[in-house]
Amino acid sequence: MTAIEVSGLTKDYGDVLANDDVTFDVASGEVFGYLGPNGAGKTTTIRTLMGFQSPTDGTATVLGADVREESELVAAKRRVGYLPANPAFDETATGREVLDLHASIKGDERREELLELFEPPLDRPIRDYSTGNVQKLGLVQAFMHDPDLVVMDEPTSGLDPLLQRRFNEFVREERDRGTTVFLSSHVLSEVRQICDRVGIIREGRMVAVETVADLLGRSGKSVHFRIAGGVDPEAIDLAGAHDPVIERVDAPDEGSRRVTEVAFTYTGDVNELADFLAGFDLLEFDVEEAPLEDVFMRFYGDDESERTDEGERSANGLRSTSDQRSDGGDR
Amino acid sequence: MLEIARYAGRKRLKGSAAMTAGIAALTTMYVLLFPSITESADLDEIIQAYPPSLVEAFGIRTLNTIEGFLATELYAFAWVILLGLYFAYAGAGLIAADVERGRMDVTLSLPITRSRLLLEKFTSLLVPLVVTNAVMPVVVFVGVLAVGEDVNMARILMAHVLSMPYLLACGAIGLVASVAVNRASLAQRAAAGAVFALFLFESVVAGTDVEFLGALSPTRYYAPADILVDGTYDFAGAAILLAGTAALVLASREWFRRKDVE
Repeated sequence: MTAIEVSGLTKDYGDVLANDDVTFDVASGEVFGYLGPNGAGKTTTIRTLMGFQSPTDGTATVLGADVREESELVAAKRRVGYLPANPAFDETATGREVLDLHASIKGDERREELLELFEPPLDRPIRDYSTGNVQKLGLVQAFMHDPDLVVMDEPTSGLDPLLQRRFNEFVREERDRGTTVFLSSHVLSEVRQICDRVGIIREGRMVAVETVADLLGRSGKSVHFRIAGGVDPEAIDLAGAHDPVIERVDAPDEGSRRVTEVAFTYTGDVNELADFLAGFDLLEFDVEEAPLEDVFMRFYGDDESERTDEGERSANGLRSTSDQRSDGGDR
Repeated sequence: MLEIARYAGRKRLKGSAAMTAGIAALTTMYVLLFPSITESADLDEIIQAYPPSLVEAFGIRTLNTIEGFLATELYAFAWVILLGLYFAYAGAGLIAADVERGRMDVTLSLPITRSRLLLEKFTSLLVPLVVTNAVMPVVVFVGVLAVGEDVNMARILMAHVLSMPYLLACGAIGLVASVAVNRASLAQRAAAGAVFALFLFESVVAGTDVEFLGALSPTRYYAPADILVDGTYDFAGAAILLAGTAALVLASREWFRRKDVE
C-alpha cells in the first residue's frame, strides 16, 4: 500500500522551477523524511500534495486520491492531518475556538490526549501566542482526528529541545500505531532520529531516496581535532577518512607551542577512529553529524564546481560550505 | 455543514454591533435635530440652491418631511455609501486576508471544498446585514416617536428590506476582489474604490445620453428616496441586484477553485 505516490511532479513558477520531475512513493505505515536545504522545493511538493496549488506537469496521489481532483482529495483529507511550515490561525480566536472549529469539521477523538502531550494554551487569543505555542496548537490539530496520514512541513522548527524530544517519541509511537508520517526537514540529525526512509531534494530535483541507515552509513561524521606539535600528512592514513585538512595554527592560548588542526569526514567504524586517535596527544576533539550540505556534495553533487574533490578541500572551502546552511527561505 | 459560516459569522457579531451602534447614534442625532431644523428654515429652498447633480446623486426630494429628511440624510448617505463601502470592504477580506496571513493552508487542509469555504464565508456577511437592518428600524421608530413626529413605518421597513440585495451586491464586488488579489488591504481598497466609483459614475451619467450605462452600478437599483418619499418599491431592481450578486459570487467561486493559493 502506498500512502503517497508522486510521479513526475513539476511546478514551474515562471521564474523558478521549484519541482522538476519529482518522483517517489511513501509506503503506508512508514515515517518518510523529505530532506533538502532551504529553498530546495520541499514546501512546493507538500503544498501540491495538499491541493493548494496544481502541478505544472505530472501528478501525485494522497491515500489514493489524485491531487488534481478536488472532490477525491477532499474525501481523502478526512484521513489526513497537516501542519504547514509556519502555521497560522485566526489571531482573534482562542486555541480552544480553533480546535472546536476543526473538531466540528473533521472530528477530535484524540484531542484530550494530544493536549496533555503538547500543552498549548487554550484560553488566550492566538495573537498572544509565542511561535512555539502556535506550533503546539498546530500539532494538536494535525493529529486530533486520528488521521491515517500526517503531512508536516518542518514540524520541529519553533519547538524547544525538550518538546522536540517529546515530538520524536510521539512520532515513533504513531508509526507503531500504523500512522504514515511524511515530514520535511533541512536537518539530517532530526530526520535520522524518527524517519525510516528519506527522499533528498535539491534544487527542485529528487536526488536520492534511501533508508536512513544507508544514508547515515554514507554521510559520515565531521571529525575535528587539535594536537600539539606537527603532524605528517601521511600519518592521516585512516581508512574511511575523507578530504583531510591539516593546518598549522598559531594558537594564542596554547602559548608558543605549535598546534596542528586536523579535520576530515569519517565514514568508517568508530572503534577504529578511537584507536587511531589514541596515537595523538589531543588538545581538543569534536565529532559531529556531517552537515547535510556536505552529504549532498559528497554523494549527490551534480555540479563539478560545487563538488570538492579529495585533497582540494581547504579551510576556506569548509567555511563557505557552512555558510550555505543559512541561505534564504523555502518556497 | 455551515461550520465555517457559523464560526465566521460569530466572529462578525462584535463588529456588526459596534457598527450598528455608530449608525444608530448618527440616526438618533438626525432624528432629534429634525424638528428644530424644519422650524428654523425651509430646507427645500436650500435644496433649490444645490447643484442639480448633487440633488440627483443623493436622490434628494424634500427635506421638509421626516421621510424625505431620512432618505437624504440617513439612507442615501449611511446606507448607500457608508454601508455599501463596509460590505465591499468586508467582502474583500473574506479570502484575501486568510491567504495573506498564511491561514488559508490550515483551513484548506480541512475536508471541505474551496467552493463550500467561499460560499460559507460569504454567508457570514448575513450577520452584519441582519443586525443593522433589524436594529435600525427600531431606532428610527423610537427616535421619531420621541420627537413627536409621525413616520410611515412600512416605508422605513421597505427601505431596509430592499437595501439588503444592494448591500449583498457590494459584498459580492468585495468577494471578487478578495479572490483576485492576495493582499487583503489591496483587495479592500480596490473593492471599496469600485463601489464608490460606481456610485459616482451612476450619478454623473444620470440625465446624460449615456444614462443607460448607470445600469452597471448597484446604486441604480436601490433608491431610498423613491421608497420613503414616493412609496414606490423597486422589486425588479432588487431581483437584478440578487442576480448580480449570484453571478459575482459564482464567478469568484470558479476563480478560487482554479487558482493556486500562495
